[in-house]
Amino acid sequence: MAGFGTLLRKDLKLELRTGDSTITLVALSMLILVVLVLAFNPNEGRSGDLAAGALWVALIFAGMLGSSRALIAERENSCILGLLLSPIDCAHIYAAKLAAAFIFMMVAEAGSIILLMLFFNLEFGMKLARLVPTVMLGGLGFSAVSTLLATIASRTRAGDLLLPVLVVPVFVPALIAGVKASAAALAGATIVEMAGWLKIMIAFDVLFVVAGYLLFDYVVVED
Amino acid sequence: MNQPILEARALAKLFGVTPVFSGVELTVGPGEGVLIIGRNGAGKSTLMKTLSGLVAPTSGKSLVCGRESRHLKTSDRRVGVLAHQSMLYPNLTARENLEFYGELYALPSPPESASHWLERMDLAAAAEKRVRTFSRGMEQRLAIARALLPEPDLLLLDEPFAALDRDGVALVTGLIKDAIARRRAVLITAHAPLDLGGLRFTMFELAHGRLAAFDDETRHERLRSLSAG
Amino acid sequence: MKNAWQVGVGVVALATMVAAIWMSLINAPTEAEQGMVQRIFYFHVPCAMVTFCAFGLVAIAGALYLWLGNQIWDDLEYAAAETGMVFCTLVLISGSIWAKPIWGAWWTWDSRLTTTFILWLIYGGYLLLRAFGGDTPQVARFAAVVGIFGALDVPLIIVSVRLWRTIHPAVLLTRQGEHGLQDPRMVAALLMSMAAFTILFVWLLAVRFKMLRLHSRLISLKRELALWQAAGEGAGG
Repeated sequence: MAGFGTLLRKDLKLELRTGDSTITLVALSMLILVVLVLAFNPNEGRSGDLAAGALWVALIFAGMLGSSRALIAERENSCILGLLLSPIDCAHIYAAKLAAAFIFMMVAEAGSIILLMLFFNLEFGMKLARLVPTVMLGGLGFSAVSTLLATIASRTRAGDLLLPVLVVPVFVPALIAGVKASAAALAGATIVEMAGWLKIMIAFDVLFVVAGYLLFDYVVVED
Repeated sequence: MNQPILEARALAKLFGVTPVFSGVELTVGPGEGVLIIGRNGAGKSTLMKTLSGLVAPTSGKSLVCGRESRHLKTSDRRVGVLAHQSMLYPNLTARENLEFYGELYALPSPPESASHWLERMDLAAAAEKRVRTFSRGMEQRLAIARALLPEPDLLLLDEPFAALDRDGVALVTGLIKDAIARRRAVLITAHAPLDLGGLRFTMFELAHGRLAAFDDETRHERLRSLSAG
Repeated sequence: MKNAWQVGVGVVALATMVAAIWMSLINAPTEAEQGMVQRIFYFHVPCAMVTFCAFGLVAIAGALYLWLGNQIWDDLEYAAAETGMVFCTLVLISGSIWAKPIWGAWWTWDSRLTTTFILWLIYGGYLLLRAFGGDTPQVARFAAVVGIFGALDVPLIIVSVRLWRTIHPAVLLTRQGEHGLQDPRMVAALLMSMAAFTILFVWLLAVRFKMLRLHSRLISLKRELALWQAAGEGAGG
């Protein structure tokens, strides 16, 4: 596990140092939230649905940008070649990239959730407590899928356009589950009531983290 | 140890249907050095990457200590590669870069190894500066340090003297001599034959996709024809 | 597939399709509730079945390509993806045509149709990747991974969409399940249709696969030629 730790620390160190992309990501996330709230009048009864939807749209955007950026860092000076030459298992590279993407997404989401609370007058209560695991499960699944697909997209012509086309449809089950679970949480449902959706998200996460782990080798090698 | 450290057998690489090189046969044993010269675009860098296992050959094999270089990760053999790209993180300092690679290679004490190499490559003064601020020559020296850090059995250096001033050249020549003395295998590429401070390197030329022996006779002929016409 | 076989299967495909058309449009009785429109069912359902089989084949061929490295699996995978997309599009179009007279809307968020639409998007992305990426083994590996991801996703898509729809029966569409067919002529029409579409799919797949194989073999020969020429030059010069 040493390799994973080394890689993750390096990515976090780099990100803290050049901070600009994380801050921009947080800002972008919050901005998307604002746009959606302005577009759909939140004062009519369905504000919980709107909040949930807006949160997840922001999450997807932030996630995709975050993954692209994480991979760009490795392409500068072909650092990825240095990693491939080292004894580090490709699986560790995948795990470190996934963890880094997840952490950045969560930071961006924290900003969005705070804005959400302001716009929709939520309290720091159980509703929020139930929202957080939903967002985390979604973020994990998204990071898994997007780390792998971004590695593919970054080596393809028009890759940054291709990435959303590849990621979003695959992410749909977790997206549906996540939005519905979030809306339920904001409406005051208990974890038991959200269980159906949460189970789907957990299954999604397990499936795609494992699949990504197994398939990453085929995707990361140069040709 | 009699086994050659690097062995290429009928190595060929095609991009699509265009051959970059083919039929490459090469053997480099411990304490031996090889120099491959060739013009820009001749395929030297691709050859280096294929030998190191970073790139898969279209056909043929590249073996490091008997194992295919494509599967090097699972062996305990190390290959030190200097490519055109430095493989250094621009926003980390010189020391941080070396310590990072030291940890990746599970060296006993990455901070010590990093300090040692920073001294050796005359980069101690710039140790805490980000690589982004380095000159081309400094980056090259740090990249060489990165390649040598894990004490590799095989050194593949693609144009190691590029961007180096006279002191840098002397430094790197000394390193190569040292590697030879330690019974490592060294393969370097260059545009033209080099003076390696008295070291006898077997010379090859990569031209038109073929690797051919390049000895003094060929070189004199080449010079004669150049001065004639 | 050798030419004789290909023609043979093509003929069988045509014959079964003609039979299926007759049985579906003429022989089977008109359904009481929905009228003539219900007959689309005999095409819509087999197309859906074929689509799922095609995309399953994409994933299997993709996995075999990654594992074994033989170009033949990549060609099969690509052919299956393209052919599958054709039938997937037909499912969506026929579903739309069916929905309009029944529910007055071109699109209903019915769970099965929605699932098919998501699949359409996933494999559309696959085809775009192939188109943009080019013809290298690296892209072939990428595509295989995307195809596998898509197939792995299918059960989750089905479950999540179904759960979503049961909570929002706003536009309900109780589809005539295979078990809801009363007249044996209807069952026969459905079975014949399924056979016809399956054979059609196999035929189209074979045609496309053959084209891709020829292309791959051509590339392979060109490479051999290039290597041989280079060897000749080297020996001579």
